[in-house]
Amino acid sequence: MREKIIRGKCWVASGYVMAYDMVVQKYWTDPVDKQLNSRYIMSGVAPEFEADNAFKNAGYTFIVAGHNFAGGGKSIEHVVTGLMGAGIKAVFADSFSRLQFRNATNYGLPFITVKDLVSICQTGDELEYDMQANTVKNLRTGQVKETAPLAPFVLEIAEAGGLVEFIKRKIADGTAHLLR
Amino acid sequence: MAGMTITEKIMAYNSGRDKVKPGELVWADVYSVMTMDYLGQSTFKTLHELGKTEVFDRQRVICVSDHLVPPPTPAFATMLNQWRQLVRQHHIKYFYDLGRQGIAHQVMVENGHVLPGKISIGTDSHANTYGAVGAVGNAVSVTDAAVAMAIGKCWFRVPESVKFYVTGRWQPYVMAKDLSLHIMGMMHWNGHLIYKALEFAGPAIEALDIAGRMTLCNMTVDLGAKNGIVAPDQKTVEYLRPVQKDNWEMIASDPDAQYEAIYEIDITNLGPTVALPDKLDDVVPIEKVVGRKFNKAFVGTCTNGRVEDIAIVAQILRGKQVHPEVNFILVPASQQVYLEAVKAGYIADLIEAGVAVDTPSCASCAGIHTGVAGDGDIILSAGNRNMKGRMGSKNAQIYLTSPAVVAASALTGVITDPRLL
Repeated sequence: MREKIIRGKCWVASGYVMAYDMVVQKYWTDPVDKQLNSRYIMSGVAPEFEADNAFKNAGYTFIVAGHNFAGGGKSIEHVVTGLMGAGIKAVFADSFSRLQFRNATNYGLPFITVKDLVSICQTGDELEYDMQANTVKNLRTGQVKETAPLAPFVLEIAEAGGLVEFIKRKIADGTAHLLR
Repeated sequence: MAGMTITEKIMAYNSGRDKVKPGELVWADVYSVMTMDYLGQSTFKTLHELGKTEVFDRQRVICVSDHLVPPPTPAFATMLNQWRQLVRQHHIKYFYDLGRQGIAHQVMVENGHVLPGKISIGTDSHANTYGAVGAVGNAVSVTDAAVAMAIGKCWFRVPESVKFYVTGRWQPYVMAKDLSLHIMGMMHWNGHLIYKALEFAGPAIEALDIAGRMTLCNMTVDLGAKNGIVAPDQKTVEYLRPVQKDNWEMIASDPDAQYEAIYEIDITNLGPTVALPDKLDDVVPIEKVVGRKFNKAFVGTCTNGRVEDIAIVAQILRGKQVHPEVNFILVPASQQVYLEAVKAGYIADLIEAGVAVDTPSCASCAGIHTGVAGDGDIILSAGNRNMKGRMGSKNAQIYLTSPAVVAASALTGVITDPRLL
């Protein structure tokens, strides 16, 4: 069963979060692996995430960010696998870098456009994301924001373990042409 | 119900929908998929991982050798040999290999592999160029391209549309590139055009030939946009008629389409424009940099390597001499462009003026070969990117501008306004 409602703690970005800082340069040639990449995810974003597993151990479920999340023109997939390995279930932002939006979708991590969620959230707040109602609620304050709709195939890709596996199954069972 | 923009219509019609909304994710049919020499091997490898040994349509998967040709090292030569073997193994009908090569985006448009109202994707960032003929052109990863090669589909997020309505008359020697750079300076590369569909319309856009529209759409990726598009018109019809691989229908935005923003630009006073080294959006009117010294001049790339660009360079240089302290390299965007330029006599003009003309490829724009930058070089380039190290050495400076400015400046050895020659 797919979760329709996710609850958890959020980390709120205080400014522009670049892919370059989410995974710093010395790790770019590492294998793409959720466990491995989650060890150093976000290590260049804030001093408190510099230590090994620091972001993962903080136990966040959501990221709330502003404009062009994970931007900077870097296409490395470690950014997405690192977040997934660290337990992130969805990222909300005003906008996303196109490259990382595609990566996230191709791994099945929802990158959801929400206008100005940053203004009603603080790091550590409990949020509730309802992916059927397309809303996100701050459980501390009770404030609610509407999110962009999530395409069902994003979760199917996650269940399949990524786009390649997802499409491979569709090809094998002869349903790839039905995708729309 | 509000109407749709041209990009929304293309997304809707190719995904079996009557209507789409910005932000929606759709699986859409792609008309053509392009991959090229240095990423093609990975693309075919992923195709095999999907359990496929054949592409969805061997006439609509287009393969091009452009980044690595002609191979400057044995390693590249070997890569190219492996690539050729893969392309042949898949019985790809349109393979533009060394001898019939060109920069992929030029090849795709000039050979009619991109059509109005349809979606074409490629494994190179400047696939946005395809919008010049009213298509949605998009760059995708190797994985996305492999999926499209397997099933003829790709997923897209329907972008919000932003319109640039451009009026006024083009001054002599002012080119589409100047407008591209002007918009870059106005909007910034990390500004709010990220992921947007940029639609160019208005009398000044209608006045542009397909080459100019290609320049304009090409650089929308450098603005962070998803795509750039110009609705097809009579010029598009005439351009495509001899080359199109299929029929197509006229398509345009509805009069009541919704835009996130509409910008009006009057180009009457737009002069030659220059991006200063290292940053694309550090843009100034030419007057601010006139007289600055440089030692290398470059015209080529998918942005400005077309016959129309070469024509203006030839016109400026004809009967004159490139300054003795300037090395000028010009690389036509494709063999077809090269041939046209030879037949028109432009290449003779260039060689007589002291320009080195090289065989079509991405050349030094990829920082790999054909006149790469060395330490201390100051390059005046008609290409598309000026980040440190883009053309080779990190200790080189790259100014970006139009072919007309490059040509005029090459005569004097300092940045020169072509209108004042």
